[in-house]
Amino acid sequence: MITVQNLQKFFGEKKAVDIENYEIRDGEMIGLVGNNGAGKTTFFRLVVDLLKADRGQVLIDGVDVSTNEDWKAQTGAFIDDGFLIDYLTPEEFFYFIGKVYGLKKEDVDERLAGYERFMNGEVLGQKKYIRNYSAGNKQKIGIISAMLHHPKLLILDEPFNFLDPSSQSIIKHLLKRYNEEIGATVLISSHNLNHTVDVCPRIALLENGQIIRDIANIDNSAEAELEQYFNIAEES
Amino acid sequence: MTTKTSSTTMPMFAFFRELRRQLKLSAKRHPMYDQNKFGKIMMYFAGVFWAGYLMFFGSLLAFAMNSSSNMESYHLMNKYLLVFLILDFLLRFMAQPLPTQEMKPYLLLPVKRNRLIDFLLIRSGMSGANTIWLFFFVPFAMLCTIPRYFGFTGIISYIIGVWLLFIFNNYFTLLCRTLMKEKIWWIGLPVVVYGGLVTWLIVGDDSLQRLFMNLGEGYIMTSPWAFLLTIALIVGMWMIDRTVLTGLVHSELTKQADTKKQEKVSEYKIFDKYGEVGEYMRLELKLTFRNKRPKASFNMIGGMVIIFSILLSFTDIYNGAFMSNFIAIYNFSAFGLVSLAQVMSYEGNYIDGLMTRKESVYSLLRAKYYMSVLFSLIPLILTLPAAFTDKVSFLQLFAYLFFVIGFIHFMLFQGVVYCNKSAPLNENMSGRQNSGTAYQQVMSLTSFGLPLAVYFGLSALIGETVTLWILLVMGILFVLTSTWWIKNIYNRFMARRYRNMEGFRDTK
Repeated sequence: MITVQNLQKFFGEKKAVDIENYEIRDGEMIGLVGNNGAGKTTFFRLVVDLLKADRGQVLIDGVDVSTNEDWKAQTGAFIDDGFLIDYLTPEEFFYFIGKVYGLKKEDVDERLAGYERFMNGEVLGQKKYIRNYSAGNKQKIGIISAMLHHPKLLILDEPFNFLDPSSQSIIKHLLKRYNEEIGATVLISSHNLNHTVDVCPRIALLENGQIIRDIANIDNSAEAELEQYFNIAEES
Repeated sequence: MTTKTSSTTMPMFAFFRELRRQLKLSAKRHPMYDQNKFGKIMMYFAGVFWAGYLMFFGSLLAFAMNSSSNMESYHLMNKYLLVFLILDFLLRFMAQPLPTQEMKPYLLLPVKRNRLIDFLLIRSGMSGANTIWLFFFVPFAMLCTIPRYFGFTGIISYIIGVWLLFIFNNYFTLLCRTLMKEKIWWIGLPVVVYGGLVTWLIVGDDSLQRLFMNLGEGYIMTSPWAFLLTIALIVGMWMIDRTVLTGLVHSELTKQADTKKQEKVSEYKIFDKYGEVGEYMRLELKLTFRNKRPKASFNMIGGMVIIFSILLSFTDIYNGAFMSNFIAIYNFSAFGLVSLAQVMSYEGNYIDGLMTRKESVYSLLRAKYYMSVLFSLIPLILTLPAAFTDKVSFLQLFAYLFFVIGFIHFMLFQGVVYCNKSAPLNENMSGRQNSGTAYQQVMSLTSFGLPLAVYFGLSALIGETVTLWILLVMGILFVLTSTWWIKNIYNRFMARRYRNMEGFRDTK
């Protein structure tokens, strides 16, 4: 699904991303972990063509993302609130997204029903613009909007941020189910190692823009390795 | 166990010096300034140009008044000092930053808020911007008859007096702009004050002119009363500014997060049947009417267009050929200028979302164009009575309408390609400045000056009627080819997308 070839991105002198070759297969669910400044968000932005690579390319289904826009129909992403049109109500925003992807209002309503528990009665029917919602609810709106059109590739940057513990747990299950039912490729990044290990069968560890470890996570086997890397075990 | 805390804080003077340094840096290191070589060169060029321009006119007026008046030239100049204050107000209004916009990061530091406000007010009073008009008044004072009667002291004393007057104007402008950032209706304050004074100047007796003459003469003669009066006015305005700023800062700090519910959420269902472009047209309307800044601009321009249309249709004020053409054409340009002068800057706030959807920006641009055409129907309807009352011809109206929605909008839309600066949608008091990119500013100015230049230029060469037909045909051609040139703009925007997106993110 995604092929990364000799990808490099510099910010001034600093090499933000430097990935020689990396393959993400159809239907895989991958977690990106790394300290601040490791290059997770920059990598995501390169994958969805929001940044220009200084070298190399990202291919989605064999097509360089910077050369045409066809891959956008099959991709959903939420990186930050720059993805939200905050003077719309959530309903308006979802219908707007739906329309852009050719969904009718009824289809959107039907799909939103699947997120009722996640929204916890705090998102729909509030008659508020998105800008008037809390950070957690904005995060929920962004995540749902990325998943609404059932993309084959879903990219979420720090999806657990701002969410209360119940919502974190729900989104974990939603993402797992989404990956299984739709057969979608899912990429998430997170600082929360427990959640990442719980959800992702494959974990990429980034340091200074490079994927220094590509960890197969079978039955949470990656946990120890990650804890060792981040010095969590020693500190506690 | 006792905890030892540091009791040393930075001395006040050192703090202010640091603050001054930081505020200078904030302007110098602004991402748009930092990256914009063109803007920097333009700024220096504009500075030199304006200085020379003012010096030229100061000298010219001195010579003209010296030779042609039966009144002393400085008296003649002082009679109309008010005009300079109004021009100064308008210039400041467009260009000068508000100190309140710079306060927020420092409000929680251990410095009394009033001290901070005082510092920013002092800085505003001492700003070099208050000396700009001296490029006009210094050569004037040196070349008029002041030196003959009052010598060098008279010149210096006059210049200091005028400078103080502009400092007062600075504080008055600051008050108006601060209040207007809270509620747009405060625009009534300068309109009432300056409008009232101008009305008095034009239709009243000559007492206002005499007042300014005496004030100016007081400056020249170093009369204590003139300086004391001006200083008292500055201090009074300072106190008002200080009180207003303190109140607004307090209300902003104690403001609850805005979580208000909307009583009614407008849906604009009419756009349902126009597919994806209709959806973006609906978005355009919501952008305009749900956000403070676009809404305020729309209301202000709408109000002006209504007033000018009424004046044009039902009064004799604009009966001359120049003014009737001026009003008619700018009634059409106004809505385009307000919505397209910073085209894409508002969308910069959510550009990432748009860019991850296929041809989303293309649909958006088409919707923007259709909406700007629809908005242009408002001035058409409002100006129709002027056509029925023979103030302007129907040919004029339709020629201007099509020239504006065709050619002028085509020009303004070019700004999309180079737009890389987000504009805040709702920020007020402590918000950022809202000026477009250098390219957009140049385009707006060109769009503003071009219609009349084309109209009068062509009219002089080939006559008015042929000119109007040319404008009409030209406009229709651009309207008919709009799908093509919008696609072209979209392709060029996409070619520059990385650079633009970086700018949008940096200025969010």
